[in-house]
Amino acid sequence: MSIEVNNLSWEIEDKSIISNISLRIDEGEILTVIGPNGAGKSSFMKLLSGDIETYFGEIYFNGVLLNDISIQERSFIRSVMSQSQEIVYDYSVKEIIEMGWLNRGLSNYSKDFDEAIQKIAIECSVENHLEQRFNTLSGGEKRRVHFARTLIQLWRPSGSLEPRYMFLDEPTANLDILHEQKMMKLIEKKKNEGIGVLLILHDLNLAAKYSNRIAIFCNGELVDIGKPKTVLTDKTLSSIYGLEMKIDKNPFRINYY
Amino acid sequence: MSFFSLEQKWFKFVKSSQIKLLTFFLIALISIFFLSVTLGSFDFNLRDLLSRKSDSLDSIVLFEIRIPRVLLAAFVGASLGISGASLQGLFRNPLADPGLIGVSAGAALGASFVIVVGSSFFPEFIFGTFILPFSAIIGASFVISLLYIFTQGFGYQGITYMLLVGIAVNAFASVGIGILTYISTDSELRGLTFWTMGSFGGSSWQLIMPALIIISLTVLWLIPSSRKLDLLQLGEPEAYRLGVDVRRLKFKVIISSAVIVGLSVSLSGMIGFVGLVVPHLVRLLGGVNHNYLLPGSALLGASLMMGADLLSRILIQPAELPVGLITSAIGAPFFLWLIFRIRKS
Amino acid sequence: MRKIYIFFLLLPFSIWSACDKSNDPSRVVIAGGSITEIVYFLEYEDKLVGIDVTSNFPEETSEIPSIGYVRALSTEGILSLKPSLILGEEDMGPPLVINQLKLTGMDLKIINEDRSAQGILEKIECVSKILGITTQERLNKIKNLTRDINLLQSIAKKNEDKDIRIMLILNMQGTSPIVAGQNTSGDGFIKMVGGKNVASNFEGWKPISSESIIAYDPHFIIITERGMSSFSDIESLSNTTALKFTNAAQLGKIYSEDGMAMLGFGVRTIKTALNFAEIFSK
Repeated sequence: MSIEVNNLSWEIEDKSIISNISLRIDEGEILTVIGPNGAGKSSFMKLLSGDIETYFGEIYFNGVLLNDISIQERSFIRSVMSQSQEIVYDYSVKEIIEMGWLNRGLSNYSKDFDEAIQKIAIECSVENHLEQRFNTLSGGEKRRVHFARTLIQLWRPSGSLEPRYMFLDEPTANLDILHEQKMMKLIEKKKNEGIGVLLILHDLNLAAKYSNRIAIFCNGELVDIGKPKTVLTDKTLSSIYGLEMKIDKNPFRINYY
Repeated sequence: MSFFSLEQKWFKFVKSSQIKLLTFFLIALISIFFLSVTLGSFDFNLRDLLSRKSDSLDSIVLFEIRIPRVLLAAFVGASLGISGASLQGLFRNPLADPGLIGVSAGAALGASFVIVVGSSFFPEFIFGTFILPFSAIIGASFVISLLYIFTQGFGYQGITYMLLVGIAVNAFASVGIGILTYISTDSELRGLTFWTMGSFGGSSWQLIMPALIIISLTVLWLIPSSRKLDLLQLGEPEAYRLGVDVRRLKFKVIISSAVIVGLSVSLSGMIGFVGLVVPHLVRLLGGVNHNYLLPGSALLGASLMMGADLLSRILIQPAELPVGLITSAIGAPFFLWLIFRIRKS
Repeated sequence: MRKIYIFFLLLPFSIWSACDKSNDPSRVVIAGGSITEIVYFLEYEDKLVGIDVTSNFPEETSEIPSIGYVRALSTEGILSLKPSLILGEEDMGPPLVINQLKLTGMDLKIINEDRSAQGILEKIECVSKILGITTQERLNKIKNLTRDINLLQSIAKKNEDKDIRIMLILNMQGTSPIVAGQNTSGDGFIKMVGGKNVASNFEGWKPISSESIIAYDPHFIIITERGMSSFSDIESLSNTTALKFTNAAQLGKIYSEDGMAMLGFGVRTIKTALNFAEIFSK
């Protein structure tokens, strides 16, 4: 199953933000979108998330038009993590993670629930903070808590074959190198569990290392899409970023000057 | 979905310590209710009354005067408490209060309008009928409609804009009430002034019964949205992505506030600080999640209001203080302390 | 138009007359300073068990339990005094409480107020009828008062021909005076002394602009003592406010007087009016 985007276009007040983009995101793969600021990457993710109601073109989730999927149903199919807002009240870390738990009337509620929270908290390295107030955490730690929340949202009893997708806009921002690597490894793990991942990254080397495919955006258009080694060329990158770039092949590494 | 699984869900997101607290609030409420009903300026022996030994005036005072009054105080306190809690959640602003979005002012304006203009058509007896509460709800709903139009259906414009509109509406309603005060004759003024200070005096069963029923139904309608209010704290886009119909939630919270606050204001005048302060106290005692906060604020608000009414009745007996004075006297210093606490952390 | 409608509506009630003798005037609660004054005048004060805060004359009233502000009464509070009779005027309130008191079967009588000398007499007669007062002495007191009233009315009549413009101020709202318009107790008082109320173009008590004060150009200005409370004396009042520019101020024709004694329309109002009528006649 996959997400299919056909001829997607979107404009605000006669200004075109996204222009005729078509692509596919499969289950069990990581598709990373890269491109300069203002290329339309975040807008693209918003459109796929269902945040925006009117646009041109079609978006299909597992063969069903996005507009035909109810707001609640959508939350069962995909989770989204982007820039988070300040949380005004003193929720604990555990309470924030629990917010990803969806109301699906699953039986044997408590046992599964508590185990899942524990497990995911450990995966995201926040299990020591569970009873702490969320607002006392550092920026990076908060990010990991939000990530844990999106993981709980997609959590299913083992053996479930429901297709699920994860959209992440700059998930490694504010993370130190250790936790950046940990997060990417975790995303990879989830991909291997069958989740389809749409990622936006600004770090090209990170993108090259972890993505199955890369989509290159520029000025709202899809410049190229394919395997990292194929689409990441000196010529393409230098022209869209306006910066001289040279790519080493072995080990694969993007250098800029 | 069976009732059992519903309960499971509710209990899941309420800690056991919070359940204990809510039980405590309930016990406190019942205790204060009995205290308020047995104390007052009119002296009678409760035992005599219940064994029917005392004269009929005693029983009239207890059953027709005191109990309706205490019940009204409880329901108004609960309304203001839960409305404040839900608005603080909706606006993600700890300083939100039913007064802030102009609902109280709209209700006051509707009622004032009827008092001043309507007294040409219906003399004294408007005060005993449903016309006054009804016009207050109309006034409150009018404010809601304005908010709806200006924010394009409580749309995605963000809460700040709504607050600004609320402030403008408040100013407008104040002007309206000011003009009505100015043009009113002395007898009309009589009706207006007592009522801006807040009082539960004169409550009778026929006056309060419809209001109590409507308030109960509205509160029961509102409470299941508690979890959604939690999710809203992550931000409107996030809540939407988690499956919350944000527009519908805003609508629900605001309409409930309009109804219960409109009714409260029309029956007991303007009583400040309760909607602001009670939710904070409840949070301080047990936590911030709305499954606990909303019922807790209703229970604590009811208790505090009954307490304030009791004080208003006995401090200068046989005269009476306006209850709004007492809630302000206690609420204002507490509010200051609250600001200090927020600044510190 | 509105008033005529209400008059017809209330006509049947006035015919029944609130002045019927009370069955049991042994424990009386009063909400209305003028009525309290009248009860003292009739020497019936030992039956009083509760009075409102506007009942502050004579001094002995401070010993009687207070039921609070006349417009913000408490049902239970009043009932706790176990009254057999409640007397008040039209400004008793709030209406819900008055309703409730009536519904408990309380003997509650609202005394009509007509703001004139004759009206005061009727008020006194009404109260004495309710209390069942017949002894000769009290009737004599009323006779003495009637003499004062006749004197007042003759002076007032003469004053009317002189076209004396009077402005009556309740208090100062900042620097704007709150002035008696039509259908106020102040207006009634002015008419009683035979003067012409300068504020003939509005109703009720309203704040007035400096220009209007000058345009009105009253011969005399009366202000209540409480209205003067933020000023040390009449001189500072006339110097620091818009009153400065009036002829009355410059000629020293500003007078202050106890508010209840003047506007209460109780017994004291007669003497007060007589006083002023004599002053203005010169």
